[in-house]
Amino acid sequence: MMPAQPSIQVSLPPPFNSHSVHDQSKTPTLLTQGAEALVFRTTFLTPSTPCALKYRPSKPYRHPILDKGLTRQRILAEARVLVRCRKEGVRVPAVLAADWEAGWLLLEWIPGWTIRRCLDAFLTPEDTESPSHRNDDNPRAAELKDLMRRIGLTVAHLHSIGVIHGDLTTNQQLPTSLAGTITLIDFGLAVQTTQDEDKAVDLYVLERAFAATHPAAEELFRGVLEAYGGAYNGGRQALKRLEDVRLRGRKRSMIG
Amino acid sequence: MAAVQALALGHLPGNPLFVGTFRDVKNVSFLRSQLLTGNPDYEYAFIDAEVILSTTHLLAACFRAINNLNANRLKTRNVHSEIVFALSPNNNIAESFRRFGLVDDTKHIVAIKVGMSTTPDITEESVRRHLMANVEGNAAALADATFAETGNVARIRKLYKIQDQSSAQPKSQKQPKLANGVTGPESKAGEDFNKVNDLESIILGLMALKGS
Amino acid sequence: MLALGLEGSANKLGVGIIQHLPPTPSHPLPSSSSSPSPPTSTTAHSLKLHPHPLPPPQIRILANLRHTFVSPPGTGFLPRETAQHHRRWVVRLIKQALKQAAERLDCVCYTKGPGMGAPLAAVAVAARTVAGLWGKKVVGVNHCVGHIEMGRTITSSSNPIVLYVSGGNTQIIAYASHRYRIFGETLDIAVGNCLDRFARTLNISNDPAPGYNIEQLAKKGRRLLDLPYAVKGMDCSFGGILASIDVMAAELERAEREGGKWRVPGGDGEEKDVVTREDLCFTLQETVYAMLVEITERAMAHVGANQVLIVGGVGCNERLQEMMGLMAESRGGSVYATDERFCIDNGIMIAHAGLLAYRTGFDTKMEDTTCTQRFRTDEVYVGWRE
Repeated sequence: MMPAQPSIQVSLPPPFNSHSVHDQSKTPTLLTQGAEALVFRTTFLTPSTPCALKYRPSKPYRHPILDKGLTRQRILAEARVLVRCRKEGVRVPAVLAADWEAGWLLLEWIPGWTIRRCLDAFLTPEDTESPSHRNDDNPRAAELKDLMRRIGLTVAHLHSIGVIHGDLTTNQQLPTSLAGTITLIDFGLAVQTTQDEDKAVDLYVLERAFAATHPAAEELFRGVLEAYGGAYNGGRQALKRLEDVRLRGRKRSMIG
Repeated sequence: MAAVQALALGHLPGNPLFVGTFRDVKNVSFLRSQLLTGNPDYEYAFIDAEVILSTTHLLAACFRAINNLNANRLKTRNVHSEIVFALSPNNNIAESFRRFGLVDDTKHIVAIKVGMSTTPDITEESVRRHLMANVEGNAAALADATFAETGNVARIRKLYKIQDQSSAQPKSQKQPKLANGVTGPESKAGEDFNKVNDLESIILGLMALKGS
Repeated sequence: MLALGLEGSANKLGVGIIQHLPPTPSHPLPSSSSSPSPPTSTTAHSLKLHPHPLPPPQIRILANLRHTFVSPPGTGFLPRETAQHHRRWVVRLIKQALKQAAERLDCVCYTKGPGMGAPLAAVAVAARTVAGLWGKKVVGVNHCVGHIEMGRTITSSSNPIVLYVSGGNTQIIAYASHRYRIFGETLDIAVGNCLDRFARTLNISNDPAPGYNIEQLAKKGRRLLDLPYAVKGMDCSFGGILASIDVMAAELERAEREGGKWRVPGGDGEEKDVVTREDLCFTLQETVYAMLVEITERAMAHVGANQVLIVGGVGCNERLQEMMGLMAESRGGSVYATDERFCIDNGIMIAHAGLLAYRTGFDTKMEDTTCTQRFRTDEVYVGWRE
């Protein structure tokens, strides 16, 4: 998780904004402040059930009608994709409650490390002479390889049901443990589509994120793609498209 | 066995809940008639316990209804009818009462009273006394264990149109590797998908999306 | 040092002369004598110079002249006519600029691209001609980098996220290790192009600029209609929006031709249902500017910046500046924008960016003084920044 930046305006939507001494639930604590959503940690129903509150505050620069419409549309799009994933067995946070008028979504709390943290832990060699990932006999290397495979399968599963994450980075996947199930998080930019192009861009974004995380991670990413390609019918085609996307680097050539 | 349990939902301390759970209720027809005639003494959310999967399922409906109440967005007559309505995955109010409320052959019931600042005389004691005097049934705990016995999972699945994934497996033979969402060693980790917990989370999601 | 800048990537012909003043003692500037220009200069594309960061320049604008080719309402500016316009005016403008700045020039800068081929070529020819006549070095400049450097200097914003919005470009840019990196951009047409073409549909005057006239009409608009909202991460697109608003404009014009008014239910009552051209302008502006502000905010959150600089012709729009200001304020930051002298294409920005590059030892060989319609912002090696 990124550290929350000092914020100028942090407000909470109802009913999370009126805290009294009788309320046993903890005051929501801010975890991240993105461009359009604030994520808090709080509790749902009972003080012992942690959850994530994702709040999209209204934007002062937008026309109120446009603002209301977009907030509603985005909360619903995210919630629909998450519910769809749960129905299809893709591990994502469950939707606990939603209020698109007030602009919030309550999501299941997912404990665990981000893939990024896992990679960092794995790829930072404790002894400098031989980085552990280079040694194939190393049990950790095998574990790491398996983690890559499972990332590939998880993304393949998501794509196979026609969902594109839209912002797939190493910060958006949480294995409950190194060998455990991977949970994809943050579906704020997700769309439902089966186009190869969209799948390829999803993979490309993840590839770039791997490359940015660690020099050795790029090599590891091959394991992700291998598992991805074999996991479902459209897998190979999406990988083929990925080659095109790599060549043009996602961006179009610019005409003045 | 405490006949009535008082609790406050997180973030909604102003609206305590008084919940009575009763098994093998003999006078459901009477309770229903009181509801139909609009007897104010019987202003409860009366719910058929057979369609309740878990405590969380029940309380999530209460959370939504109370939030609607406080935001002045009730779709039904009052917060109690709103709880029954909130359980339903669709917007048909009459249907939600038929499916989640009381019908004449309902066996086990949950009765919920929501406290408000305007009703200070409603207390755990007053609700307990009223329910004990008027519901002819066996008081049960408000607990997952109770709903595990009273709930009808097949019927719940049908109400929310959620396929049992283990029985749906053969349908996706085209993609055998992904039939269970995962392959190889992961199937073990994925097995708990079909447990009540996951059914519950899908139901919560469907309830949250209702009205969109 | 002194540079002449020639700009002609679209319908504005700009001629500017800029002076970079001698350094204050605390910030010694490298002079041309202390940094010998390489004997063989490279092209902008394959440029591999050593970074030679410059302190924020003190500038003096000695001339900033512009002549715009204004096409009749309902039409756009075609490459051939625009190039003719530039050829007709370029000598007159240069003469006039030189009158205003008689001091000695160090180099002649021109827009290499991106832009429309024929107008670019017309101005490149003029640049080569005067450079040859006077025996000056030529510097080919990326149009977008010209906007960015001018904006940074005029507003004194040190390291902002840049929103570059014009008739030909829509980009979100952030600087990192000697490149202006494009974080987001339009996936189809530029926002200014969307506005210009809508102005044509409604026969709104192109004088002084279609976008300006849309802005004036939008001020009287009241009703927001439903348009597509096309943001994808930090990218956006305007093609679908243009198609939708054009359909609305056609409906409105048909209703007016038939002597009536165009009514769209939902405005709460008979008279309030009436939709005017002002409402269409208002709707278009509110929608596309909300998109631009949103992707800018996303880029700011991404890199942790809190300054925004708006450059390009659309950057003159006061409503866009206002919206951007509200966003920046909510993030504890601020917005920097320039007025029409620097927002709209001009020669000064070309002279300025060209001179910055020239001072790091860069110039363009005569045989490389071509122009190109495609020239990405991130292709330019920015040697003058840390």
